[in-house]
Formats: sequence, structure tokens, C-alpha cells
Amino acid sequence: MRKITKPVFFIVLILILGFAYLTYAGIHTYYGDIRHSAIKGVDEIRWGIDIQGGVNATFEPELENEDQKITENDMDAAKAVIEQRLVSLNITDSEVYADYTKHRIMVSFPWQSGEEDFDPAEAISELGDTAQLVFVKGTTQPENLEDETVVLTGNDVKKAEAGQYQDQNTGETTWVVSLELNESGKQAFADATTELSGSGQISIWMDENMISAPNVNEPITDGKCQISGNFTYESAKSLADKINAGALPFNLRSTSTNIISATLGEGAKTAMTIAGIIAFIMVAIYMIIIYRLPGFVASIALLGQAAGTLACISGFFGNIESFTLTIPGIAGIILAIGMGVDANVIVSERIKEELNNGKTLNGAIELGYKRAWAAVFDGNITVVFVAIILMGAFGPTDSVFGTLLKPLFMAFGASTAGTIYSLGYTLLVGIVLNFFFGIFCSRLMLSSLSKFKAFKKRKLYGGVENNG
Amino acid sequence: MAKEKKILNVVGKRKVFYSISCGLIALFIILTFVLGLNVDIMFKGGTILTYSYTGDIDTNGVQSVVTDVLGQKSTVTKGENTATKQSTVKIQLSSTGGINEVKQTELQVALEEKFADNELALFESSDVKASNGLDFFLKCMVAVIFAAVVTIIYIGFRFRKIGGISAGIFSVVALLQDLCMVYGCFVICRFDINANFMAVLLTILGYSINATIIIYDRIRENQNLKGSKLELEELVNLSVTQTLGRSIHTTVTTVMAMAVVCVVCTIYGVSSIISFAFPLIIGMLAGVYSSNCIAPTLWVMWRRHAEKNPKKSKSAASKNSGRR
Repeated sequence: MRKITKPVFFIVLILILGFAYLTYAGIHTYYGDIRHSAIKGVDEIRWGIDIQGGVNATFEPELENEDQKITENDMDAAKAVIEQRLVSLNITDSEVYADYTKHRIMVSFPWQSGEEDFDPAEAISELGDTAQLVFVKGTTQPENLEDETVVLTGNDVKKAEAGQYQDQNTGETTWVVSLELNESGKQAFADATTELSGSGQISIWMDENMISAPNVNEPITDGKCQISGNFTYESAKSLADKINAGALPFNLRSTSTNIISATLGEGAKTAMTIAGIIAFIMVAIYMIIIYRLPGFVASIALLGQAAGTLACISGFFGNIESFTLTIPGIAGIILAIGMGVDANVIVSERIKEELNNGKTLNGAIELGYKRAWAAVFDGNITVVFVAIILMGAFGPTDSVFGTLLKPLFMAFGASTAGTIYSLGYTLLVGIVLNFFFGIFCSRLMLSSLSKFKAFKKRKLYGGVENNG
Repeated sequence: MAKEKKILNVVGKRKVFYSISCGLIALFIILTFVLGLNVDIMFKGGTILTYSYTGDIDTNGVQSVVTDVLGQKSTVTKGENTATKQSTVKIQLSSTGGINEVKQTELQVALEEKFADNELALFESSDVKASNGLDFFLKCMVAVIFAAVVTIIYIGFRFRKIGGISAGIFSVVALLQDLCMVYGCFVICRFDINANFMAVLLTILGYSINATIIIYDRIRENQNLKGSKLELEELVNLSVTQTLGRSIHTTVTTVMAMAVVCVVCTIYGVSSIISFAFPLIIGMLAGVYSSNCIAPTLWVMWRRHAEKNPKKSKSAASKNSGRR
């Protein structure tokens, strides 16, 4: 680190300030009234239900009798129905967790009180309705299930699944959805496909939406067929899920509903923002008073760390999806920044100690970082473990950490604890950034500053002035 | 050269520390039975309906409407939101089944009819099954236990020179002490045992382990530097004293930050955050205390015990090889 020169401080400072500003403001381009975000700013942070207000509902299947078995496929399918419905209600910002063991589906979506054309209670009751799938001759939606164009309903489909199909002439492999019909559907489908063979289309509808309208190439008499189209694995699986959803054997009823008003949330949001700003300023002042120059550098590094955490939440980086920020999530940020303060405190204390042991300024800075490293690393890494466990335990069951810890938490459902997941996420991100800003950047800045004659005084580092 | 700092004798005072900790934990257990726990509906099951209103409202009147419509007893309390200055009336219904939407609508219609002048409006509605909460609670426990095991293994590996696994176990003992302090804070302050409680426990878990590791790191370093020249007691006392500056300044800054959150949230009346931020302060103070006074002193006691009974303890052998 001896090669660090005077300009390094200014480069790092400008980069951090620029990054902090971009995180705050974002970059937007305007096409008329439509705002397009090239980089998302803090105003685009997706606030959680607890801060923004919203709706949180738990669904359970309504079983016809006690012997009815529910499989993981059933649950996946039910999840797909609800997701489909949320989208058709224009709620794209939602979280739907499926609980395989307890047979529960938990839905939460933010809701703002300003939305007058959206009634959350109605939305919830709509989400729980049985999904109705219909196969129709032609592409016109039928009036009702007794309409003569209706070929099949969801009850006639035994199973749908995503599969691969290889064209025998071209050798091309494509994703398809394979359907298996039950006895009642087999005959009806055979008749309809014979009638429409070569010239007609059969459209597949779920509720109000047309999912697909495949061409009928040949009569299908064995009760098995494939829906081809421009499918990827995801879209094929998604369609199969939706078709299975139509064949869902149960109605979903909401067992628990939370309507959280935005008024309560707005207060929380403002309070936390103000508290965050005041706390940051106070911590910075304290650090500068106690540690002087290292404290000043630490404050800049903390700004970078705070901005970085917010950037990972707002979706600043294209490859990191925006994340819902909840109150425990904010507390996670505070804790991570606390760890950042701690890292800087440990280093600054160490530098002071080395100076008092008679080391030269450069030597003390070098040794300070070197000796503090083990403590900071061990302390932070254990918190990383905690963060990962929280994310695995309370996050989506199909996430990386969720899959990793699945054996441990298999007995439990996906509990309604997106807030704890949020805490784990902000903690993890904050600590990773702590290594970058709290150690790496602050070391660059401090070493660079120490090259200036004005900053050579040992007093500025908490040391005692000597004549050397 | 600076004036030599007086080395603190934490090991010598360990019995005082253990007495304080055990006394407090005993007190919290007694208080739990005396005061009872404010268990949130998420663990108990039930429904809390909050209505905003204007003018004045009679809680007994609300209660009788609830009894008429739902046929069950309820606790009705009035409140005011300091942020919005809105008056609220809270109806707490302890029910295992929860109140469905139809019943909720019926109740609201009945209330609006009876209190037509009060402009009643549903402000918040919480309806949680007990099983939901129990699941969550158990899952948190498994997460905490798993985190503790991972920590012990990690410390066991990284601090093998100072008797690894035993050091790890004592860091977890210190951690449990901190969690008990957080629990006590919830009991005394009458905060609801809810998701916030779990979030505080999990946050303090990280904070406390970090604080203990900082001390262990110094013990490890001093052992490398000074080897067996120092007695165990001196080694620990020296290490605690050397890291005292860090302990104080880190605690002051983090506690100060959370105190700001408490004050601002009190002004805004967002009580859900206070029941998070205040116990966090208690946990942080407990964390710095236990990492300085409990974990390293217990570790010294264990090492002394192991020296006296070398056959009884495997770690004595590894300790001796580590010290020489």
C-alpha cells in the first residue's frame, strides 16, 4: 500500500460521492409523461407492506373430504393461479409463497390508500375463487360453460406438464406442454379435434384470459396431446401449471387477512428516513471528534456503505432485482452500518495504539489495518452466516439459500416473515459492502491523505506528538 | 509515550458479573409469571380491528355491538395516532378461528349504524391464526440453534489456538445471556412478543457474537505475542483493557443511532418501531457487557478447571499444546 499517492483520496471521494448521488437521484429519461429509469433512485425503492401499507392474505384449500390428498404439484398449480390473478388485477408487485407441508399459500402485495379503483378485500376474495379452465373451438371466449363451443373444462384434464418435443424431420427440439386427459375428456377432445383437424384452432382460456390458441394439426384420440408454440422451459412450465390450476381439485379460502393501512406505513417511512439522517450525522460527528482524520475518512466510507445498501435495494444495479424494504430491513441496514462503524473504530483504535507504541505514521496506518483485519473479518463473517441462515429460513422456498437449508427447515412452512428475510438480505448486503467501503476504501483514503504534509501530524490520528 | 492505562481486573470480579446476570434472568422469569406475557395475536391467534373515528366514542357501546354481532367478548381500547392526530378505537378479539371477512363487514356495518356521527372507518385489521405464529416461533428457534452451532464450529476452527470449541461455547453462553436481557426488556416494557421480537433476537445474535469475537481476537493475538509469559487471568484482563476503547466507542455510536430512532419514532407515534429499536439498545448494552465480562471470564474458569482435571477434559491436552 506504499504506492498510494495523493490523488487517490480525491478519486475515491469523488467516486463515493458520485455513487451516493446516483443512488439517491437515479438516472431517468422521459418520453413525454412516461418516465423510464436507466438507474433507479431511492424514490423507486419498493417499500414493504409494513411501511407502504398493503394487503397480506393466507389461503388454504377447502377440502371436500378429509381423505383428499394434496401434492406439491397441486400447491404449485394453486400458486400459479394466484399469480395469474394478481397479474390480471394489475398487481405485478407481489409475493406469493407456497407452503407444501401445511398446504398454505401466502400472498402479500403493497397497496396504497390513494388507489381508489382498487379494493383489496375484493381482490382477496377474487384470488380465492376456483380457477376455471376451458378449451374452446375457435378463439372466441364462450358465454358460459354450457356454450356449444366449449370442448373441455379443467375437470377433464388429468395432468399437464412441460416436456421436450423433437421434430422428426428437422431434428429441432422445442419445449411443449403435454396434456393428459381423463376418460370424460378423451372422447370430447377426440371429436373436436377430428372436426377441426388441419383448419381450426382450439383456444385455452383461464378465467378471462386466453393462455394459448394452438392449431389443430391432426385428430387426437388417445387423450394425450401437446401444445406447441414458442415456448421456453419457463413459459411451458408456467402454462402447464396454469392448466393444472384449472384442474385444481379444491377451492381456496382465505384463512387470515391483514389490511394494513398506508397511513400507518407513511408515518413509519418518514420517521425512519428522518431518524436515519439524524443518526448518520450524529455518528459522523462523534467519529470525527473521537478519531479526527480516521474518523473523517470513516464517515465518507459509511456514506458509501449506506448508499451501496440502498442501491442494492432500489435495483440500482441491473443484475440485482429491486428488493422490498421493510422495517426490520431498515434495522438490518442500521446494524450493518453499525458493523461498518465498528470496523472503522477497531482500525482507528489500532492506529492510535500503534502510534503510541512509537511507530511511524505510515507504519502505524499499515499495521493498524493489518492487525485489525482478523478481528473485523471473523466478526463480520459470523454475521454473514446469520444473515444467510435468515434468508434461507424465511425467504422463498425455491431461492438459493432456501434450497441449501431445505433439509433443516423442511418441517416448517414458508412462514409469513418476509420482514425477517428482508433483515437477512440488508444485513448480508451491508456486510459485504462493509468489507469494500469500511476496509478497502477507507484504507485507500487514509493512506493517501497521510501523504499530504498538512496531514502528517500524529495528533490528527489520535497519537501523541513527538519531535521525530 | 502515553500514560499506561490501568489494566482492568475483569476476571477477579467475575462472580459479581455472574450474580448480576443470574439475578436478572431469575427476575425476568418471575416477572413473566407475575406480569404475564403480552403475546401478539400471531402467537396466540385472534383478531384486532382498529377503526379510526371522529368526535367521541363510548367503548362500552362498541363492546356491546361486538357482542351483539359476533356473540363474543372483546377488549375495546381507544387510542390516538400522534403522527396523523387520528383517533382510533381498537377491538381485540381473542379467537382461535379468526373473524372472516363477512363477519368483519357485518360488524363494521353495525358499528357505522350505531356510531353514525363518528365517521368510523376501518384503519387496520389483523387476523392471525395461532398455528401461523407457532410455526414461525419454532422456525426462529431452529434458525437460532443452527446459527449457534455454525458459530461454535467457526470459532472452534478460527480460534483453535485458544481452545476453539470451548471458546465458541462460551460465546454462545454470553449470547444467550443477551437474548435473556432482550426478553426481559419485552416483559418489563409490556411489548408484544411478535415478529419484531424475533428480529431483535436475531439481530442481537449477530451483534453479540461479533463483540465476543473482537475480544477473542485480542486474546489470540496477545497469546501469540506474549506466549505463556502471562497467566490466563492477566492475558484476559490485558485483552479486555486493550479493546475497551473499541467497546465503548462502538457501543456509543450504535446505541446513539438506535436512540435517535426511538426518539424520532416517539415523536411520530410509530410504536411498532419503538418495540424494535428500544430492545435493540438493551441487547447492544447486554452484548458489550457479556462479551467483556462473561464470555472471557467463563473461558478462564474453564481452562483452570481443565488444568486441574486433565483426565476429565480433552481440551486440556489441546490447550497445553497450544500454550507451549
